[in-house]
Order: sequence, then structure tokens, then C-alpha cells
Amino acid sequence: MNFDYSPKEKAFLEEIGAIVSQYASQAGSRVEKPLALILKKLAATPYLRLGIEPVDGMEGPQSLMAAAQKFAAAYPSLYLSVEMSTRVFGGALSRFGSATQKEKFLTPLLKGELVGAMALSESSMNVENDALATTGTVDGDKVLVSGVKSFVINGPIANVIAVAGAYEGGTGIFFVPADAPGLTIGEPLGTLGFEGALISAVSLENCPVDKNFVIGPLAHKEAMDALKLMENQVLVGAALGAMSAAFEAAKKHAKEHKSGGRPIIAYQEVAFKLAEMLTMVQTCELLAQRACWLLKNNDNQALEVFLCAKVMCGECAEKVASGALQILSGSGFTAPNPTERAYRNAKFVQIAGVSTEIARVKIGDMELGYGK
Amino acid sequence: MDFSFTKEQLMFKEEVIRFAKKEIVPRVAEHELACTFDFEAFRKMGEFGILGLHFPEELGGQGADVITTVLAGEALGEAGVDGGLTLAYGAHTFLCADTLFRHGTDAQRKKYIPKLASGQWIGCMGLTEPGAGSDVASMKTEAVKKGDTYVLNGSKIFITNGPIADVAVVYAKTDPSQQHAGISAFVVEKGTPGFSSGEPLKKMGVHTSQTSELFFNDCTIPAQNLLGQEGMGFQMAMETVEWDRSALLAPFIGSGSYLLKKCVRYAKERVQFGRPIGHFQATKHKIADIKIMLEAGRSLVYRIAWCKDSGKPLNHLEAAVAKLFAGDWTLQPMNDAMLIFGGYGYCHEYDVERCFRDGRLAPIGGGTSDIQKMIISRLM
Repeated sequence: MNFDYSPKEKAFLEEIGAIVSQYASQAGSRVEKPLALILKKLAATPYLRLGIEPVDGMEGPQSLMAAAQKFAAAYPSLYLSVEMSTRVFGGALSRFGSATQKEKFLTPLLKGELVGAMALSESSMNVENDALATTGTVDGDKVLVSGVKSFVINGPIANVIAVAGAYEGGTGIFFVPADAPGLTIGEPLGTLGFEGALISAVSLENCPVDKNFVIGPLAHKEAMDALKLMENQVLVGAALGAMSAAFEAAKKHAKEHKSGGRPIIAYQEVAFKLAEMLTMVQTCELLAQRACWLLKNNDNQALEVFLCAKVMCGECAEKVASGALQILSGSGFTAPNPTERAYRNAKFVQIAGVSTEIARVKIGDMELGYGK
Repeated sequence: MDFSFTKEQLMFKEEVIRFAKKEIVPRVAEHELACTFDFEAFRKMGEFGILGLHFPEELGGQGADVITTVLAGEALGEAGVDGGLTLAYGAHTFLCADTLFRHGTDAQRKKYIPKLASGQWIGCMGLTEPGAGSDVASMKTEAVKKGDTYVLNGSKIFITNGPIADVAVVYAKTDPSQQHAGISAFVVEKGTPGFSSGEPLKKMGVHTSQTSELFFNDCTIPAQNLLGQEGMGFQMAMETVEWDRSALLAPFIGSGSYLLKKCVRYAKERVQFGRPIGHFQATKHKIADIKIMLEAGRSLVYRIAWCKDSGKPLNHLEAAVAKLFAGDWTLQPMNDAMLIFGGYGYCHEYDVERCFRDGRLAPIGGGTSDIQKMIISRLM
């Protein structure tokens, strides 16, 4: 057992902290402009490759989760954009892609030269992982993709969109260039949180994709579990970032803001709330790290423990942010600031990926030995 | 970070589970209902080696690391051992024996540790007083040096193992003009004139642990029964309570695993509205919450054990965080477990209610949740 980071990881975390802090002041802005810049900077560090390919001296998903927390705390929307591109779009390529596909898309992605999106969600998706309504039909050396996808993060800015759909009796992932005929990208959606990220619907009508750029057919459950796990990793990082940002803002305020002649942290109502918040932050960090450790070791508990982490971190993020808002009082309620942003973003974490309700049902099924 | 255990640690945990299921669990219900201490189980724990796991072999221990020690505690809970017996084990091994081991002279170690590690003697620790709970510095018990003796006067309350202990580590003021710096620790043996214990207190849970007051009326002990030096008592107590917030939490985490398994089994067997209740989402939700709390709490406890094994003697923040989480966040899942069992969960026959009652001590004993919040907020 070891509950500390290695010297190399610590140096890496410092480096990432220094990079992302340069963007923190833009945290309320849309991501188009800073995205290209930060991708280049991150490509010069191990960050983009973590969890995608082995990196010497790093602990894969564990090192990534620690760095993700810093990134998500500094600029949540930019974090979400980078991660959905790298870890979900790139993760699917890394896990299921052919050498040709990796050369075409993964190599530029890891150089920070390509932005990807994963189009997975559909309006009818549910706990049972029913077959996707989006379909890919073979037509010569092409596959024609048709369907409607909702809530595609990076949809309006991606160079390539990975679209998941039913394919040849299983599930396929179709790599659709942004300028492909038959592809329509919706307008960016107005959202409660992660307002800087560009999220849209995507519709495809007989959109031709080169067969060389189709993954599958994969077993549906394997594909969905893998993609949801990738999403959940990103969202757990987002939750940890929200918690960190809110907690640090509240702690700073409680030490600086005076009431009755003394800093408000001197009052138990404030100090004890901070203690509860720190307990949640540390508990969630450890749970997320353990989930990542299980994942790194291909442990068969990884999927379930990640769902546990998703529920715990998502719900604690809202609680911590809510506590921080109480401590910051009026100054927390004025927008924009990191705390109100964390509060709004926390709700997304609970909804996106596997929602906390579905996650609980799945955890229950796993414990009971039920489920498909 | 590395969350792995060694093969030996995991094998030992399984051994403890097997031992506990065979030698302790069959008598838990009987003692729990009668509110009696299971001396036989305790003696067998000593024979097995659990009571002195982390002490050196030459003192009758097993020379185990703290992580193995924590795993053994978790294993007891996971096997279904009640919180009363595991509390008695914790008070005996960590609050009493460990303090003697860390701060005693060679002679004191040789005299007490082998007897305590084997279970031949039972130990307790006297810190809390009627007017001095977490506010340790306001304790009234005094120890006055007279020649080559100390004379103790005062009383202690809520002392786990109080009525059955052969030896007690007792904290008293040697300099009442001082606050924390005036506290010293002493070894007091059963039968010492002027030392007595009260009747076992009736409690909501942890029924098999025997809890009482301790009384000191001109209790005269040899001066060599002082542990360490005068004025060092508070420091010792702080080290001790950290065990309270780590190794003593391990059986509680184990008990959560025990509950989860029971709930899963019951939810698959109990049929309502034509199907096992495990098929209802509300039941899955409760089972998931128990699982989530277990996964979240477990690493917090292991982290303190790792800190101790890494040579960090005091880890107040980590310990307080673990204690606060275990105390405050696990009550709802334990309540959920009772709800899964419905009316049966309220009856003694299914020991879900016993786990609930035992677990209710977690946010109280060893420093209430509010005290943990005070510690955390001061350290941040």
C-alpha cells in the first residue's frame, strides 16, 4: 500500500497546475480559443497520453485523475472539452481502434492537433443498455450512418465525431469527419453549467463513412460499458475539480472575511461546515484513486467501484459547492465565480454519463448478481 | 498510490474470518441479548494472536504491521463478530496495551504485554471523566506524589472493559495548575487498594462490552507505575485516540461488509408482489448506498494504517476525517439495511438491528463527530 504520489507524479502535477492556472481567469468563457492553445501545451507533457498509452513513471488513470482534478478546478469547461476529446474519443480509439485508425486520428489527437467528440447519447437510452437507434449500414466500401445524437460535447468544434450505433448485429463506432455529407451539427445548447463547453445535437442522414474508419461490430454491452466508463472517469475528475475549487474558495474566504471582529472560520457554524466539506473532498479523492487503481490493474471490480465513485463524487460535489456558497454568502451568489460555477457544474456530473440513479441500479444489480 | 495488500495480508484476513466464524460468531447472539462479556471468545482471540498482533514476538505478539492489524479488525466485523467484543478488543489492545508498549519501561513491557497479548489479562484505559470528555484538560482526577508512591483520587466514566479489566492505563493530573501539560499516565492494577469499578452501564448498543465508571479513593500505587514522564499524558492520550480513529474503525467497516452480504442474501430470497425484493429499484438503491459507503470509508481507514506503517506517529487530520466519515455517513446505510429487512430487521433474530445499535456509537465514541470537525477545522 502507498497513499502518496511518486516524486515524478508530484513534479507532473505541479507542471499541470502551472499550465491550467494560466487559463483560470477565462473559466467562464467559451473554449474555442483556449482549446487549441492548451492542447499544444498539454501535448508537451504526459497529460494527453495518460490512460491512452503507457507513460514511464506515471500510474496511468491514477496520475491522470490527480491532474484532472487540478484542471477541472481551474477551467471546468475547457477540462470537459479536452477530456471528452482525449479520453472518450481517444479512449475508444485506443481500446478498440485498428492501427490505421490510430494513425489517422489518435496520433494527431495526442499531438494536440485534432479535436474529437463522442456522439453516444440518444433520447431513448436507459438502464438496460438497449440497442442504439442510430444505425450503420454497409454500402460497398462505405457505411451509411443515420440517427440523432443528443448532448454531443465538442459537437460544434470537433474535427471528427465518433458516432456509436447499431452495426452488423452489434455496436459500431463510426468516425465521421466534420465536413461529411449528411452530417448536421446543431446550434450550441444553452446549459446550466459548463457554459463554456460547446454541446450540441448531431443528426446523421445516410452519412457515408469509409469502412476503414469504422470500429466493430463490438458486443453491445462491452462497448457501452467501456464508453460509459470512459465518460465516468472524465466526470469523476470534473466532480473532484468542482469540489476543490469550491472548498478552496470557501476556506480562503473564511480565513479572510471578518465578522464580529474575527475571521468567520473562528465560528463553529463555518469551521464545522468546512470540516465536513474537507472530509467529503478527501473521501472522494481516495475513492476515485482506488477506482483508477482497479482500472489500471484490470480488476473486475473496476466498473462497479467507478460507478460508486461517480455517485459519491457527483453528489458530494453539489454538497461541497452548496456549503461553500453558504460560507461565501453574498459574494458567492454573484456570478461569475468559482463557487457558483462549481454548484451549477455539479448537477451535470450527476446527470451525464451514467446518471446517479442508473448508477445505483447498476451497483445494486452487480451486488445482487442481476443484470444483463 | 497503491491500494494492494500482500498475499500474506489477504491470507491472514481470511484466516481471521474463518476463526471468528467458528469460534466467536456462534455465541454472539446469546451474549448480546444477555449483555455479558464473552470471556471464552476473548481468550481464544488471545490464543489466535489477534490481541497482540502488532507487538514484537519476544513480548508475545506477532510482529505484524499496522495494515495487517487493521485487516484483522475488519475481518472480525466481516465475520459477524458484534461491536461489543470488537470494542473490548480495541480498548484492550490499542488504548491500554499499545500505550504500555510505546511508553512503558522495559520492565513494564515485559510485565504487561505478554499477559495482555495472550488474553490472560484484560486491559482498559481511563481518560474520560464525568466533567471532562473531549475537554481532556479539565480532568479532575489527581495523582499526588508521596515519597515513592503516587496517590490517585477521582473518577472516570464510560470505561470500556472497566468492570473486567486486570490492568488500567489511567490519566490524572500531577500538576492541576497546568492544562494539558499537567496530565500524566499511570498503570493501575486490579486489586490495588482504593481502586474500584462501578456496575456495567446499560447501553443502546455494544452490549457485550462491559462499560463502567472507575473510582480512585486514595489509591496508592508505586511511583514506578508512572508511564513515561510526568506531564506526558496528554501526548500519549492523543496517540492513543488516533488508534481509536483508525484500527478501532476497522471492525466497523468489516461490519458494513457483513451487513451488505446479509442484505443481498435477504433481498434475493424475500419475495413480495411476486418477485424477490432485490428486483425493485428502491432495494437496489439501498444496497448500492451501503456498497458506496463501504468503498468510500475503507480507504480512509487503510490510509491511517499506512501512515503509521510509514513511520508517521501522529496523523490527526487523516484520523479525524476517517472518524467523521465513518461516524456520520454510515448511519443512513445501516438504517437502510434495517429497512430492507422490514419488520424482521427490527427483531433480534436478524442481527441487522444489532449492527445498527452497535454502529450508533461510531459518531460518539473516541471523540464525537463535532470534536472531529473541530480538529479538522483547526488543521486546515
